[in-house]
Amino acid sequence: MSQGRSVFRDETKLDINYVPRRLPHREHELGLLRGFLGFALKSPGRMAQRVIITGDVGTGKTALSHRFGADIGHEASTRGINLRYVHVNCREYGGSLFLILQHVVSVFHPNFPKRGYSAEELLRTLMQILDEENACIILSLDEFESLVKREGSEAVYKLTRLQETRQNKPQRLSLVCILRNLDTVKQLDASTRSTLQSNIISLDRYAKQQLVDILNDRVSLAFEPLAVPEGTVTLIAELAFSESGNARFGIELLWRAGKYADAEGFDTVTPECVREAVSSIFPAMRRGDLATLGLHEKLFLLAIARIFKENQKASISLSEAEQTYTVVCEEFDASPISHTQLWKYLKDFSNLGIVETQVSGTGSRGRSTTISLPRIPAHELEKELRSFFEKRLEKS
Amino acid sequence: MNVEDVFSSRLRMKILKILFNVGELNVSEIARRLRINYISATKHLKILEDEGILQRKMFGRIRLYRVNEQSPKTKALQNLIDAWEHQNEK
Repeated sequence: MSQGRSVFRDETKLDINYVPRRLPHREHELGLLRGFLGFALKSPGRMAQRVIITGDVGTGKTALSHRFGADIGHEASTRGINLRYVHVNCREYGGSLFLILQHVVSVFHPNFPKRGYSAEELLRTLMQILDEENACIILSLDEFESLVKREGSEAVYKLTRLQETRQNKPQRLSLVCILRNLDTVKQLDASTRSTLQSNIISLDRYAKQQLVDILNDRVSLAFEPLAVPEGTVTLIAELAFSESGNARFGIELLWRAGKYADAEGFDTVTPECVREAVSSIFPAMRRGDLATLGLHEKLFLLAIARIFKENQKASISLSEAEQTYTVVCEEFDASPISHTQLWKYLKDFSNLGIVETQVSGTGSRGRSTTISLPRIPAHELEKELRSFFEKRLEKS
Repeated sequence: MNVEDVFSSRLRMKILKILFNVGELNVSEIARRLRINYISATKHLKILEDEGILQRKMFGRIRLYRVNEQSPKTKALQNLIDAWEHQNEK
């Protein structure tokens, strides 16, 4: 690759704050959210709602809410409706209702004083602003757990029951509460819970193929054509899947792997770039784990490392590993051990988190095992193992 | 109030410059920026409000002042301050 060129076309498309136009495999949930809050466009001020979005880390909760907010905000301004979508990460404000409300008020009055009043006064101020501007607001409270932990039921109650103190006035505040675990809501008192729990959107963990689709979407936005081979995307998807189906982790890994490719001057983002990227995120390879391995375990692992180092495959077959293992045994004057024993070693490597294995489904020709080396750069693993054998030769 | 009376005060001119610059502020913050007391700030703000140059909004105990963009006096003042400040920068 010529100097100064990059595998990236637009790396900002991999930024944690970037919200893509399309959210693959979240179309249904986006439709649900539009269904729950669509009244804000049809009959603004006539109704307010509360929606909970729940799901594990990296399941697209924040992206879903942001996408919805951007779409409904755009649609509202097209129709001349004064509807604001405000997204607040409660954790950034230490879970303080006062600071969260202050942020919301600052959307309308950026120089609103920072002290000298209570959260209740601030909530009244917000409603006054909304009344005066004939505006409605969809307030998205991300990392809602943080608010519940700090303020308990009281704060949530104030937000959800606000309208009851505003008899015959337009309903201007709808809430989207984003949280990982619904257990948080169980901590609230019964009356608060009852106002909150009616509309729940649960986001399941992404499946491996869904992660592949998400990553492919980002690849087409962020990278030059053909810069990210299919095997690399598959490897990243597998890693993200093993991290509880965390798409955000996968996208970050994709960016990091691209950075390694640029640093090495590669035209493409190879699986080795991914391994480099992973080792920078995960704790470094534990030398102690390698030291406790027996001779043939080390020889077998060395064979695996060499295959990955010498080609750019994302995964290899067990038989390929066995063939190279035989060659490695010859190099170090050792007699190869049986297939069954190697298979057991492979399971141990997998348990130690050094490799990952996958067994294909039963077919007419039996099962086959594929091996991937997702977390450790092959060249580093090979170097470590080679140093063991060099020390051994020095001693003898 | 006559024009010479309105503009005879350095503090009133400073208040206008601040509000043209930041858009909107509460009384305490204006007083803090000018290093004057609250009562004095309130007095000058009221004069500018009475002339229709400033607008006041109340949010509970909080009073926010901003320039009244609908007033022709405000537009003339904005031009005057811009021209003056711009001239001084050269």
